[in-house]
Amino acid sequence: MVLKLYGSNNSTCSLRVGAFLREKKIPFELVEVNFAQDEHKSPAYLEKQPFGQIPYIDDDGYILYESRAICRYLEEKFPNQGPKLIPTELKAKGLFEQAASVELNNFEPYAHKAVFEKVFKPYFGQTPDQATFDKHIADLGARLNAYEVILSKQKYVAGNEYTLADLFHLPYGWLLAAGGSNILSDESRPNVVRWWKDITSRDAWVEVKDGIVKSNA
Amino acid sequence: MVLKLYGSPFSTCSKRVATVLHEKQVPFELIVIDLAKHEQKSAAFREKQPFGQIPYLDDDGFIVYESRAICRYIAMKYADQGTKLIPTDLKGLAIFEQALSVEQAHFNPSAEGAISENIYKPFFGKAPDPTVFEAHLKKLDEKLDIYELILSKQKYLAGDELTLVDLFHIPFGYSLPTAGSDIMNSKPHVAAWFKALVDRPSWQAIKDNIHSTA
Repeated sequence: MVLKLYGSNNSTCSLRVGAFLREKKIPFELVEVNFAQDEHKSPAYLEKQPFGQIPYIDDDGYILYESRAICRYLEEKFPNQGPKLIPTELKAKGLFEQAASVELNNFEPYAHKAVFEKVFKPYFGQTPDQATFDKHIADLGARLNAYEVILSKQKYVAGNEYTLADLFHLPYGWLLAAGGSNILSDESRPNVVRWWKDITSRDAWVEVKDGIVKSNA
Repeated sequence: MVLKLYGSPFSTCSKRVATVLHEKQVPFELIVIDLAKHEQKSAAFREKQPFGQIPYLDDDGFIVYESRAICRYIAMKYADQGTKLIPTDLKGLAIFEQALSVEQAHFNPSAEGAISENIYKPFFGKAPDPTVFEAHLKKLDEKLDIYELILSKQKYLAGDELTLVDLFHIPFGYSLPTAGSDIMNSKPHVAAWFKALVDRPSWQAIKDNIHSTA
């Protein structure tokens, strides 16, 4: 049975999984969850995903949620298909875990909150606050200064190979511009700019960034 | 060369690593970073940890930072000794990753937020805001309702065996009463799970102060 991704055509976390599935050329079917009608909060949905969030996958009856966990599971399942996105050697893997943790602690909180303020709030009929957005961007900027140092010594966040740790940054990083911030194109951090250009030019991201419009199953 | 943990005897993230070092029976030396003098923000420290945060690990010249990454590295390197902390089968590993993601996305922000408000702020001479504290607790309460559901069906967060993800909750969970909340005791299955974690010798050994074991 083909892998089913329960999510939304253009939700950030669905895109995270969508980009991964494209990298690995894993066939899948996108099953749209009706956000507008709060389908993700229905009892039937909560049976599968108790936190009431998207996405989750159904791999022939096996259910998994949390977009990063989904990517990690499928990488373990298909290690020899497409690019290798998690190193296997101990030290390389340690540095991968370090970069993945950095993404969650030093990038995601600020990027997510900034995007929420300017891009998501209007969608829910709320008024964005520019000062709040600016503060989150400033906080992100302080962390990107450390990224600049790291990326001056290596090509990607976990080393010289592209890994899931880079991919995880894509959805919220991409929406910062929609919120009005070009921080990832700020030439005062040339290595961050170089890295961001590189990872956003990958076919897998280019194919899904405007929506997982075509599933390849 | 013995493992060197650069951190603080009282810091939550240093304790997260120290617990795992004890579980895996790995000797280590704690090198204390002088937080009062902002040693973690110095140029020399940032050479090793560019974000200026503690802890980091020096394994015979190999540097790793981010407490959860350090823990994963230790659990992988010493897979054959001490408590097994990472599943090896595909589906067990996936549920483990799911639970780890839940800890960082759902538990940590509210738990750390609450502790930051009521413990860290006063430590730095700032007045805590009760509204902010209550908001964090309300969110944490909603998440712990789901933990209650999960833990009513299985003993630990990733299944019936203890894994790293359970241990990751201890440092901030343990400090919540000091911050003014008994929330970890408020739901029966969560309370039993958390008590079992806190009673483990690995946490008891370091809960008040981390000592070098090498």
